[in-house]
Amino acid sequence: MSENLTKVEFTNLKKTLFPKLKITKAQVIEYYIKIAPKMLGFLAERPLVLTRFPDGINQQGFYEKDAPHGTPSWVKTLKIYSETAKRDVNYVLCNNLDTLIWLANLAAIEIHIPLSKADSREKPDFAFFDVDPEPPATFKDATIVALLLKEKLHNLGLESCVKTSGKKGLHVLIPIVPEYAFRETRTFVHKIGQKLAKEHPLVVSELTETKKPGKVFVDYLQNSHGRTMACPYSLRALPEATVSTPLKWSEVEKGIKPTELNIFSVIKREKDPWKRILENKQKLK
Amino acid sequence: MGKGSQVNVPRRPIWTGNLTIGLVNVPIKLYPMIYDRGISFRFLHKNDGHPLKYQKVCTKDQRVIPWQEVAKGYEIAKNEYVIFDKEELDAVKPESDKRIRLDKFVDYFSVDPIYFDRSYALMPDKSIEAYSLLLTAFEKKGKAGVGRITLRTKEYPALVHAYKGSLVLTTLRYAYDVVDPQGFEELRQLKAPEKVELDIAVKIVADLSGEFDITEYQDRYKQKVEELIKKKLKGETVVVEKPAEEEVKGLMVALRDTLKQLEKK
Repeated sequence: MSENLTKVEFTNLKKTLFPKLKITKAQVIEYYIKIAPKMLGFLAERPLVLTRFPDGINQQGFYEKDAPHGTPSWVKTLKIYSETAKRDVNYVLCNNLDTLIWLANLAAIEIHIPLSKADSREKPDFAFFDVDPEPPATFKDATIVALLLKEKLHNLGLESCVKTSGKKGLHVLIPIVPEYAFRETRTFVHKIGQKLAKEHPLVVSELTETKKPGKVFVDYLQNSHGRTMACPYSLRALPEATVSTPLKWSEVEKGIKPTELNIFSVIKREKDPWKRILENKQKLK
Repeated sequence: MGKGSQVNVPRRPIWTGNLTIGLVNVPIKLYPMIYDRGISFRFLHKNDGHPLKYQKVCTKDQRVIPWQEVAKGYEIAKNEYVIFDKEELDAVKPESDKRIRLDKFVDYFSVDPIYFDRSYALMPDKSIEAYSLLLTAFEKKGKAGVGRITLRTKEYPALVHAYKGSLVLTTLRYAYDVVDPQGFEELRQLKAPEKVELDIAVKIVADLSGEFDITEYQDRYKQKVEELIKKKLKGETVVVEKPAEEEVKGLMVALRDTLKQLEKK
């Protein structure tokens, strides 16, 4: 390249990553380049977990926590001792555009972030409600529950924000000051879920009930050290190339089709509903 | 390394025989006219630079098999073969009877070039008069003779015609080797174009019309590799410059836009 706009050396750009929609790696990289201004803020200083599909989503992909062999020296990484693996895991931190492009070039289609930042790993800056419908409950049902949740939090003086998971449910989050341990946020989220479950037959809040058909599970367990969620604006490895898309609550009220929020449409959205959410970190009590 | 576009005339004929029309025989020599002069490489062992060779390896036990143990098999079903010895196949090989028999004469331009395979220059062998007579007749009438020739072990349909003041033989492909595009489903969906659009398209074609000149097209890959070879011979290190693929260009457009947005922040 005559112009050095990026340090990344592109490879296999013509490779098809989403066969049903014939989406190539070049298109995936282009998506992440275009979405970067909205997405980078949520990636910064968080040890990432990647799901890579070098041969496309119809072939076996793999989870990756360790920075892969051949990671360039300009990519920032962070060693964290893993209790389960009994060794240091060398996580990738994505603090700039080049790193995001590099990840896309690795066919890291899904990018997952922890709820806490690297400098305060035990103190999350999000409380996270994973609103997960169990068939025959639908996305519509998840919408109903998410709106109930929003109302409940609002009554407690808390402003929440919402995104599609990119799969079948919704993610409701409260940006919080990193003062609480995971145990505290987990208990908080669980309690809200229990209250909702009491008030509404559609909602379940206990681990034992997760697979109850036709119910919507408000999952609190993700509020734990080492757990991750799909990063806002991450692609999902589904045939429709859906995106975990930040929404305005008014959009949720009007009703949306999560499959329509994909690699092509999300890039065209003028809205950036989560633009200022990291500036509004709240206290839980 | 011949740099020019001119290909040297080959020294030795690859075939000699007679061009036969009815009872008339014209003694003839056949020279290749078509070469593959693109860049070619040899595979080397990266570690010590020695050339690599191909070997026939048995798929059962990975043993290298000598030629005398090799037979030919015709696959009739998956992993099921009819096996042939060399002698059996030799017995049915077309005999090279050293004759190009012309069965009939056709309008040269009526032969679809899709069937053209490889061309050979026909040169007079002894009888210059007969050659000259035939050549002049072909040129005057714009005709070509159709017949057969056996080269090595294969019999080809062939066309004998005049080209640049010479008789040329062009072997033809068999019909079974050529796809009929009407088999493509896409063509079923063609619709007659709108008149206005058609007029525009016709005008574009007319505006871009010109004379065909093959020398306008150069083998750019070959030229670049030849430059690299020269540099390597001079001991210069070669800087690998990645080509800007179409995809990369598209990504650069997106990148420039994103970088602008990020600057504003």
